[in-house]
Amino acid sequence: MKKKGSLDFYLVLATVAVLFVISSICIYGMFYFKLAQIQQLAPVAKLDYMNRMNSVIAPFIIALILLLGICVPKRLLPALWLNRFAVALAVIAGGVSLWLGVKTGLVVVLAASLMLQLIVLALAVGGSQLLYFEKSGYWLRLGSSLVHLGIILFVLDLFFHQYQLLHLILFWVTTGAMVLGMIFCFYAQGVVQFIRARRRN
Amino acid sequence: MEIFLPIAFYSRTGHGLLIVLLIFAGLTGLSGASNLCRSAPLLSRTTLFLLTTVVLLFVAGFSGICWFHYQIFQQISLTLPPSFADMLNQQLVDMNRGAEYGLPLYRSDAPPRYLLPLWLENEKYYFWFMCYAVMALVGHLRLKNHRFRAALHLLLAVQVVILFLHTDPFLAPLPKFLAEVAPWFSADMPDGQRFGLFMRLYPKMVFYYNAQYMWFHPPLLFLSYACITMTFVASLFMLIKRDVDIEMLGYDFAKLGYFFLTLGMLLGYPWALKAWGPNWWWDPKICSSIMMWAIYSTYLHTRLYANKPAMWYFTSILGVVCFLAMVFTFLSSFFFPGEHTFVG
Repeated sequence: MKKKGSLDFYLVLATVAVLFVISSICIYGMFYFKLAQIQQLAPVAKLDYMNRMNSVIAPFIIALILLLGICVPKRLLPALWLNRFAVALAVIAGGVSLWLGVKTGLVVVLAASLMLQLIVLALAVGGSQLLYFEKSGYWLRLGSSLVHLGIILFVLDLFFHQYQLLHLILFWVTTGAMVLGMIFCFYAQGVVQFIRARRRN
Repeated sequence: MEIFLPIAFYSRTGHGLLIVLLIFAGLTGLSGASNLCRSAPLLSRTTLFLLTTVVLLFVAGFSGICWFHYQIFQQISLTLPPSFADMLNQQLVDMNRGAEYGLPLYRSDAPPRYLLPLWLENEKYYFWFMCYAVMALVGHLRLKNHRFRAALHLLLAVQVVILFLHTDPFLAPLPKFLAEVAPWFSADMPDGQRFGLFMRLYPKMVFYYNAQYMWFHPPLLFLSYACITMTFVASLFMLIKRDVDIEMLGYDFAKLGYFFLTLGMLLGYPWALKAWGPNWWWDPKICSSIMMWAIYSTYLHTRLYANKPAMWYFTSILGVVCFLAMVFTFLSSFFFPGEHTFVG
């Protein structure tokens, strides 16, 4: 159980708020799709509708990716440095977006998140005490790191879906990381017992 | 179709079993209703017996579904006259050229057969409710709270009534699938027409009925739906009383459900790319599923702060919202048009 008021708590609240907005847009989209009978329209009009909805939801997806970008280094950095990092990341992403387009800017955020998450994972595997986790326990931390790595990889996979081989590799790495992460995170105690029993035998 | 498949026998036996299931589930529900109103438990052992029988009957019916699908696999094959094989394969090679995911070539020695998943059409409800029945039994054995048990029993009875009245998988087994393949068995069909029908049936067989993902994506989601239902009952009780045991049970099922949901949704993604290409965004089912996953993620995160009274209730409300989102997601296939609609 956690203390209210921690940075983690506010990041969770911010993520919840963004997810709520995304969900509301999704519901609106579903009803609009139904009422405007989009499925009856010509493919061009249908594509236009999808592009319009994409542009509506894009800022919130960007906010979610930025939040993901901030959530990852919170394991590594103290609050002050985390704030500085968040500002720096937003500025760099904004600069790259203006220069090379929004998509490239987001890939930069994701690539930075991926690098940091790999460092977090390596430290978690090594059992480092330098990481800032609200919960203790080797397997739980490892699991949480893997789940977050999986989420980053999944978003990257969405970006690269047109490259079939890369997409499939990314997808299966994502799935493996998520599955292992959830097992370690949700069933940390069971994993410990399993390993102890194996060692005893 | 009756010549090839024992439909009448399967239907009669399966429906008979469902009537027995309805009787036992009805008794379980009655016991649940009376236990819910009482301050002391009533007929505990009898209820456990009834619940166990319901689970066993569900498993027996599911074995019947497996048997029927095996009959389909054995009896239904898309066999073409040998003279057509070369022409067909030439056409398939042409079609596969440039396509990201091609169709396998036809082999005269091993014509394509339907390896149908066990959760097709109305069978999905059967599978879903069977999973819930097993989980309700686990919940019953784990917790002594008779009112909580009663709520689980009552919900199970409601599900069996829905199954019997609206979604009986035995009464008219696999109507859409059998209607699709029935023309294949008309004896007087000219060869050219049969060839055309093959070209209509074969892609759907490969990309839908026989898709490997079909064996993982839907059942994982139905397992998660059953887990969400368990969490829903626990969340309702959490709103009434701060009982840590019930909260733990709800959380355990939430973790399991989240695991199944995440994996199920992930495994749907490459399948969607393979079957529909990248233009699947804004499909209502996918939108609502992502929304449900987001609510579920929020539930698991807020649960970390459940030691605060306000967060305890917020978590409970989210558990209820998760269930409502699940119902909404499921019904969206029927109400909102999209890529998933034909599944319903």
